[in-house]
Amino acid sequence: MPTDVENWKSEVYGNEIRDHLFEFAEQGFDSIPDDERDAWFERFKWWGLYHQRNGQEGYFMMRIGTPNGVLEPGQLRTVGEIADEYARGPGVNPIFGDAYADFTTRQSIQLHWIELSDVPAIFEKLEENGLSTQQACGDSWRNIVGNPVAGKDGQEVIDAWPVISDLNERFKGNDDHSNLPRKWKVSVTGSADGSGQGDINDLAFEPAYKAVGDESEDTVGFNVRVGGGLARNEPRLARDIDVWVPPEQVPDVAGGLSALFRDYGDREDRYNARVKFLVDEWGAEKVRETLQEEYVDFELETAGRDVREEYTYNAGEGERNDLIGVHGQKNGENFVGLNVLVGRMGADDVLELADLAEEYGSGEVRLSQRQNVIVTDVPDDALDEFLDEPLLEHYSPSPSPFMRGSVACTGTEFCSLSIVETKNRQVRFARWLKANVDLPDDVDEFHIHLSGCTASCAQPQIADVSLRGMKTRKDGDPVEALDVGLGGGLGENPQFARWVTQRVPVDEVPGAIANLIETFADEREEGESFRAFVARHDDDELDAFVDPEETDYEDPMMHNTKRTWYPYAENDSMEDAPSPPADD
Amino acid sequence: MSDRLLRVNAYTTLDLVDGRARGHEFEAEAPGVVNVTAPREDPEHVTLEVELDNTAIDDLAAHADEIDLSPAQARTLAEALESTADRVEAAQSDDTDGL
Repeated sequence: MPTDVENWKSEVYGNEIRDHLFEFAEQGFDSIPDDERDAWFERFKWWGLYHQRNGQEGYFMMRIGTPNGVLEPGQLRTVGEIADEYARGPGVNPIFGDAYADFTTRQSIQLHWIELSDVPAIFEKLEENGLSTQQACGDSWRNIVGNPVAGKDGQEVIDAWPVISDLNERFKGNDDHSNLPRKWKVSVTGSADGSGQGDINDLAFEPAYKAVGDESEDTVGFNVRVGGGLARNEPRLARDIDVWVPPEQVPDVAGGLSALFRDYGDREDRYNARVKFLVDEWGAEKVRETLQEEYVDFELETAGRDVREEYTYNAGEGERNDLIGVHGQKNGENFVGLNVLVGRMGADDVLELADLAEEYGSGEVRLSQRQNVIVTDVPDDALDEFLDEPLLEHYSPSPSPFMRGSVACTGTEFCSLSIVETKNRQVRFARWLKANVDLPDDVDEFHIHLSGCTASCAQPQIADVSLRGMKTRKDGDPVEALDVGLGGGLGENPQFARWVTQRVPVDEVPGAIANLIETFADEREEGESFRAFVARHDDDELDAFVDPEETDYEDPMMHNTKRTWYPYAENDSMEDAPSPPADD
Repeated sequence: MSDRLLRVNAYTTLDLVDGRARGHEFEAEAPGVVNVTAPREDPEHVTLEVELDNTAIDDLAAHADEIDLSPAQARTLAEALESTADRVEAAQSDDTDGL
């Protein structure tokens, strides 16, 4: 028997949800019948709207899908204006204020406190400016990710941007692919740095060379991997299905695999629905055979020569672990990666950055999978002046490793799943670590990812230090805590973190990381990366290195923030939760 | 250690309980997670899941225990929990009154 969600999807799903959404917006939030709310909230996701958590009745998170993180000139301003006008609610964040945009680990943008009645006006403004929330969530093609500077990167092997644009055109709003068993995350990367993070996606296209037919020269195209993903305590790396595809055939292969997932994925059990589980069951060979026999009408090539040995992005060592800083473009101009701590930027800052991007570059801005922004097309002669802009003191192109290495999910501030506070906590952690902890001189990257639950939205398994929400008891009281994992990362040979210490009270986590780094600095071999250091120790040794300890770090959110209506409210108990917004 | 086997999020029934694992040759105190669940569609039983923290127990491999209960068994268990909880609360209240 299909699940509830499958039944709801069989009644109304895909593009048609929009008409219903607009009707509810017109008639008001209360017009959604109580017994249909679960169904409609599930469907709204397809149009990028998530109902916020318990206690925030009637408010939505809105996700804008920006393919490959590309914001064309003017689009960042649109995002800033929408955030400023609509992303305000009854809760005010003590660090970020009352209107902000979140840049996500999948190169999208999230706004909070969106009211249903404002959705038609927001959609109109987004669409006038070439932006969309379509399929940003829900069971279909999600925002396509890749190296954000595709088409411009001086290090790229092949320009993936036309391929990504084409896929986005074909599979957004495509009725044949709009109702899949579960989400479908696609990565297409043309650079040799691994910055598309294909290994953790359902479907990955990675640059590879192949001599095809009678040609003796290599052609550049893509190798195909299927079935990666991090969620639900079941992380998988995408499996090599031994297929190389030229750029012009990527849509056929991508569409074939999406259709294969549509037809063979598990619709009985959502926990088993992602394609990673189908690959577990079938093996890569059967995926390839089925793709060949049933879904493409040309002979698939075997895999080509990849460039994975050159991957550096989030790889634990080497250059370009992220895309922060000044880098050369193919055309001689520069792209400048700016650190946005935990991906959150106030609406005023978003608008100011849009101004700066126009003044010093082309107006274009791009988003990375490490929750940062990149201003492109800055000529050499404008570079110094741009780097001197006061805004860049806060969104730095050369931040501390603890600032640039921080990634955090939404957490109990808005999310229904999370069990701990995340974004503000990660800001506090990063600031404390920056002020109190020194890495060895030759170590300039240290990635700490904080996820509020096992859903893994902050990609905790691929960080040097992985933090995941839990609870513990301290001095007799239940307090928020974090499980600690170590040594994860991507690169040529990706590795998931090993979870070595459980339930560290949140106020002892900075001390634990400080002690861990001190041991690393004392006991590492010459030039050894943190990831390599972790790899040569067993779990018990690592557990001992973590060594939780109270320090002068103070955590104001030790209590059970999931039981508040908003963790930062003066009166935060559920009884003080605001009423749903009045329709205006 | 291995990763947790149970998913832990805001829908988990209890994300922090005190427990112990006991064998003939060992006993270890450990915090744990308890969850009650059932398949979303056509469920035939209630599943009670228990996982004690693996880092606190040296003598066992990481594992979760899962018990399938018929609705009647689940109600029997719920009634036993309720009545025992009443007894514990009453005893605590007596203690308080006696102070």
